[in-house]
Amino acid sequence: MTATHPSPDVQQYPAHFEPPHGSTWRTFFGPGLVRGAWMTVAGFLIGMLLVLALRWWWGWEPLWNTEVILVVGGMVLAPIGFLAGIGSFDYWLHYISGRPTRPEDHSGHGAKTWKDYFRVNTDHKVIGIQYLVTTFAFFTIGGLMAMFFRAELAQPGLQFVDSQTFNGLVSVHATLMIFLFIIPAFAGLANFAVPLMLGAPDMAFPRLNALSFWLLPIAGLMFVASFLAPGGAFGAGWTGYAPLAEGQPLGQTFFNMGVQWAGASSIMTALNFLVTIITMRAPGMTFWRMPLLVWANFTTSLLVVLATPFIAGSQFFVMFDRVMHTSFFVPEGGGYVLGYQHIFWFYSHPAVYIMMLPGFGIVSEVISSMSRKPIFGYRLMALSLLGILVLGFSVWAHHMFVAGMADWLRVPMMITTLLIAIPTGIKVFSWIATLWRGRIHLTTPMLFALGFVTMFVIGGLSGIYLGSVPIDIAASDTYFIVAHIHYVLFGGSVFTIYAGVYYWFPKMTGRMYSETLGKWHFWMTFLSFNATFFPMHYVGLRGMPRRVFDYDEAFGNMNLFISIASFVLGASFVLFVYNVITSWQRGPVAEANPWRARTLEWQVSSPPPIFNFDEIPQVVGGPYEYGVPGARHAILTPTKEAQKEAEEVHA
Amino acid sequence: MRKGIVQLVAIGVVIGVAVALVAVLFQWLPESASEEFDRIQDIYWFATWMSVVIFAVVAAVVVYSVWKWRVPPDDDAEGPPIHGHTGLEIAWTAVPAILVIALGIVSAVVLSRNAEEKEGALEVRALGQQFAWTFEYPELGDFETGELVLPVGRQAQFTMESVDVIHSFWVPNLGQKMDAVPGIETEIFVTPKRTGEFAVVCTELCGLGHATMRAKARVVTPAEFDQWIEEQRT
Ligand code: HEM
Ligand SMILES: [Cu+2]
Ligand SMILES: [Cu+2]
Repeated sequence: MTATHPSPDVQQYPAHFEPPHGSTWRTFFGPGLVRGAWMTVAGFLIGMLLVLALRWWWGWEPLWNTEVILVVGGMVLAPIGFLAGIGSFDYWLHYISGRPTRPEDHSGHGAKTWKDYFRVNTDHKVIGIQYLVTTFAFFTIGGLMAMFFRAELAQPGLQFVDSQTFNGLVSVHATLMIFLFIIPAFAGLANFAVPLMLGAPDMAFPRLNALSFWLLPIAGLMFVASFLAPGGAFGAGWTGYAPLAEGQPLGQTFFNMGVQWAGASSIMTALNFLVTIITMRAPGMTFWRMPLLVWANFTTSLLVVLATPFIAGSQFFVMFDRVMHTSFFVPEGGGYVLGYQHIFWFYSHPAVYIMMLPGFGIVSEVISSMSRKPIFGYRLMALSLLGILVLGFSVWAHHMFVAGMADWLRVPMMITTLLIAIPTGIKVFSWIATLWRGRIHLTTPMLFALGFVTMFVIGGLSGIYLGSVPIDIAASDTYFIVAHIHYVLFGGSVFTIYAGVYYWFPKMTGRMYSETLGKWHFWMTFLSFNATFFPMHYVGLRGMPRRVFDYDEAFGNMNLFISIASFVLGASFVLFVYNVITSWQRGPVAEANPWRARTLEWQVSSPPPIFNFDEIPQVVGGPYEYGVPGARHAILTPTKEAQKEAEEVHA
Repeated sequence: MRKGIVQLVAIGVVIGVAVALVAVLFQWLPESASEEFDRIQDIYWFATWMSVVIFAVVAAVVVYSVWKWRVPPDDDAEGPPIHGHTGLEIAWTAVPAILVIALGIVSAVVLSRNAEEKEGALEVRALGQQFAWTFEYPELGDFETGELVLPVGRQAQFTMESVDVIHSFWVPNLGQKMDAVPGIETEIFVTPKRTGEFAVVCTELCGLGHATMRAKARVVTPAEFDQWIEEQRT
């Protein structure tokens, strides 16, 4: 299966499959957004009628139960209708029902106009961009929510919103950032880069890949739409602890179900990455020749497939308790309240690495190519990822040190938690050793990578405080936690996403971004980020709990300062958006390899050809052999001379 | 090279001193009012000095490298092909391992000492309910209060319960914290070491009134405490 190449000569297939009907018929019944819209409505109505019919049949009162109808119609059948409508299932349904499938013409490949981004498209490069644009849209929404509640928090007491809205804003903010920004933005970058880096023409399952993407907007809209539900958005935090979540208004169901769609999307993508990485490596691309970004996504995907089913389970149980009156977590019914937290964190601790390992990969690429040096300790870098993967499953209860769980669990969980600092430390030290005596190009991606290294160290160190049970007892559930997660997720993950977007921007768009604006963006973000989140350590330790709209007068000035800094941080994002939009439209045309990097994606044109490689690349060495005389990562034109060269390198 | 190392160390010292000043010039922790919190603060300082050193090392290497080896955009030379260094790699695996294991041992010791029940502990029940705390002193009489009063110098054994959702009991100056969970009982020990007025706050999101779920805590002399109990009984 290794890199089976379809013929690059696309013209021999019909460019588009023509249905045997007129154009109006096609608009309404052919795959696309119009059919998606009416099939969404149809899905909802079918669900509603199903619920009404069953309730009538069993004689249940009242006949109309909004929550049940919303779950079955609104959150299950309407999304399925939408997916079917836009054509995600067309190929499979034709195949299953024995009808002629659409000729395998790859007409879903490539994007000629912007409209092609609004179709089910199977090209991993298009899907990568679809992911990134969508996730940055949700990043904007989540960020605006943060601006809103930081305004509320600038002074003690309630000024702008009521307390349910406040809780809703905080909860939806965190949920969007995690499930609709960090996790899928990494999936988007990897979608674009990983097949290219492997020397593969696409992902292993392009149609599954397209489906994974289209599940995302569904999840995101569900989270945002919860604000319209009677009683307001879900307000039990992104952690949605039972039993609080079980007594929440209707909005909570939007969380329970939204997580299912986002989770399904992650699992499908992860399976796709695993199969792609295992089976579609170009000839010569052994595991020990894979770039670290590929290694990072390999480990992340393993984490996703093993852990994500647990959060799906936890949210189903809460929803069953709410809707079907089971009692998984209802103590009066024999339920086990702490059970929720164990299941939830069994996913959500590994999830913090799902939100970090791909960033480790990005930073390894950037630091190595911008320092013009091989990555320091390549094998240990890959092995430490695997170390984190294994240890990551043995530490979940460090989120429960004050939850009242069995006492004996605390010390073992503390030890495993502290041990994670070792592979993490190896990575940090190897990055800075890569800088040593390099020839450092301080471009925007490099600035973000170095910003990441320093900020992530702060986040990791505050993690060590929290890993020590006695300190955690004092610091848990305060603003100190808020500081910690923002140092690891903003200073960590978000900085690496920025680094990745700048780094691959020329490859994705074929144009160069503005370095000047990029540097302004970095410095403004870096400074206001620290001004916003560093003081949170202080107010937290001093006694300010997290997730509060009101606090002790004594923290007033500090919170005012934090809020002002957070507005600057919000404004810095505008620079980024402006840079991306204007550069995409009319930036200078990018070269194929502006960074002189060695990995395969840079050996093809910017943007790459429709099937990535016109010839199958032959991998002959490691990906970071900067400065090694005569070393090559791959040979792309297997002409006679190149063949000879390959043999020489081998010898 | 010798000169380079001196410069690197100088940068490290400057950063280390700056960060250490941030650590000591601000009052990061509330003033301790319990024996347990004293012990927690000791580990806090252990972790802090460790962090100052690690941060200074990393930041110094980053700053020094960028300062020393930055090249203009049109430079197209390559760096030296250094692939690794086994000695260094062993060192930066072993040193952090020793540090975190030391921290783990100290933490485990403090944890077990903070959970030791002493003789004559005062039994206090803390009841969480949306959105208020109620305190009971089952050995001393059949009454409930909304204010927590503790005698100085005597260990108090708190038993936490909740009637609805999860709450979390925390008095910042006393250091200890524990969730009040419906369906189970949880426990912590606190030995107040000085008198004063403090705040009880709920730290687990418990619904609309979570932010305002606060109460007053007073640590008083044993005589004042006995007198307060008398008043409550009548
Ligand atoms: C050396 C590494 C780390 C250690 C030792 C560590 C330790 C901890 C501990 C003990 C907690 C629980 C605190 C509490 O709730 O009382 C925590 C919370 C958290 N950590 Fe880390 N952490 C580390 C790195 C990371 C990374 C890399 C991420 C994500 C990229 C992360 C994300 C989070 C998040 C999101 C929470 C808060 C969860 C919540 O909402 O309650 N941490 N960390
Ligand atoms: Cu964790
Ligand atoms: Cu509360």
